[in-house]
Amino acid sequence: MNGLEVRKLSSKTILWILLAAVVLLYGFPFLYMLLTSFKSPLETIAVPPKVLPSQWTVANYVAALSKGGVVASFVNSVVTASLSTLFSLALGLPAAYAVVRYKTRTGRFFIVAALVTRMVPPIVVGVPMLSIFRNLGLSDTSIALAIAHTTISLPLSIWLMSSFFEAVPSDLEEAAKIDGCSRLGALWRVVIPVASGGVAVTAIFAFLASWNEFLFALLLTAVRAQTTPVVIANFQTQFGLDWGSMTALAVVYSVPVILLTLLLQRRIVAGLTLGAVKG
Amino acid sequence: MLPAGAFLTVFIGWPLVQFVVDGFYKIAPIAGGSREFVGFGNYVRLFQDADFLNASWRTLLYAVIVVTLEFVLGLAVALIFSALGNASRVFRTVFLYPLMIAPIVAGLLWRFLLIDNFGIVNELLTRVGIMHSSSDVQWLSNPNIALFSVAIPDIWLTTSFITLVLFAGLQNIPGDVIEAARIDGARYPTILFRILLPLLRPVIAVALIVRGIDAARAFDVILIQTNGGPQSSTETLSLLIYRTMVRFGDPGLASAMGTVYLVVMLAVALVAILSIWRPGSEEKP
Repeated sequence: MNGLEVRKLSSKTILWILLAAVVLLYGFPFLYMLLTSFKSPLETIAVPPKVLPSQWTVANYVAALSKGGVVASFVNSVVTASLSTLFSLALGLPAAYAVVRYKTRTGRFFIVAALVTRMVPPIVVGVPMLSIFRNLGLSDTSIALAIAHTTISLPLSIWLMSSFFEAVPSDLEEAAKIDGCSRLGALWRVVIPVASGGVAVTAIFAFLASWNEFLFALLLTAVRAQTTPVVIANFQTQFGLDWGSMTALAVVYSVPVILLTLLLQRRIVAGLTLGAVKG
Repeated sequence: MLPAGAFLTVFIGWPLVQFVVDGFYKIAPIAGGSREFVGFGNYVRLFQDADFLNASWRTLLYAVIVVTLEFVLGLAVALIFSALGNASRVFRTVFLYPLMIAPIVAGLLWRFLLIDNFGIVNELLTRVGIMHSSSDVQWLSNPNIALFSVAIPDIWLTTSFITLVLFAGLQNIPGDVIEAARIDGARYPTILFRILLPLLRPVIAVALIVRGIDAARAFDVILIQTNGGPQSSTETLSLLIYRTMVRFGDPGLASAMGTVYLVVMLAVALVAILSIWRPGSEEKP
């Protein structure tokens, strides 16, 4: 081995060690929470803390899920996020398509405006929204919260979808139209199926935006439509600092999205990097 | 386009207008209470209000802390990933997961990790010998460092985003550019600062702006960890507005605060978008 090779080898090793350290730093917090959630409630707050539970138990999970409103809040989270995804796609797909196919000045303005709305602090629109939904007779419902969440996910959906639609050759559509499809028919039968990967990415992001959102959920729901993030936040005031139940609930709420991430990793990466790198 | 436009107008445009209008009134906190037009009265109060000025300053500081640390860490990891190439794929997946976790959960998680006495961070630091006892540093209850501590989960959550974006940007840089520089005898720091970073500039700009604006809007992460305390040391604008509106029951003043906040954010966002993104323009591939 000559000197150069040795240097190359050792710098690779250093990089791997660094990487391992970073991944440990990133992976450990959640892993620790996962392990903690299987400790007994007493051991959860023992001094000094231990990494591994001395006795594995699901007591924290039982305690967390049996508290009032917890299970209902899960149902609410799922319903709200699904509704919001649906709204976001129903409004976002035609809008993105219009922006891409009719390259007009208004279209360009529209996409900038849609992006600017993403910059609006939610606290600013949250309270007026409350009175709007009250007037509509929708206060404390999942539909109202889903609409609020759609204001967050719609601009992103339009942005993502217009990038995906741009990749669909317009010849395809022309062909469909010659075969007797209307414009909307062509969008529905040809363009959307071709861009279905993009639709999936957009749907995932819309779902996650709603699933993880907290501020609107806090402002717009009281009891009936409360989602899990609000319940988690209320835990500390309602039941004292019950760390065992809190970690268990946090794990239950996060595991589905983490699994989703791992399964659909490639698509998510594509969606995240799309806008930023292309521009 | 029309339905989406209408939707955004009704559910963002209209509340915004109402919000801005509220800023000119003195409003009683009870439902259906009195409204009295005070013109710029709320704004005058605002700029004499130490809480508001401090919170603005803290918001800026918080955003700068979050974005700076995220960028340094994110860039470092992106460079490691691209140096190791395909072999690092599994690690890239692990690195991605915090991005999907709810901010409220991340805040809770880190509060648990950083708590003194039974928090694992202090315990580990003590064992390694950096600290003398596990109550040496009170991350979240010492007003001098709390703003930094509450930023940790935010950094932890979204460094992955910066890494992903920069990593994708790095993949787009042709290898021969770097090779040519190497043949010319350039060392790594030169390659990084003279070639890689300048080529990544647009990508970096987008990543920083997106994250900067998100960080300036942070609410959940801070609320769950400290609720603005201790001694208001972590009270950013989002929290102050929330408190003024909901707890102190002064929607008029809160609206005025929010309007200033909003105008600044929109100005930054608009300048940023128009100068960098140019969506829909001819330059887009």
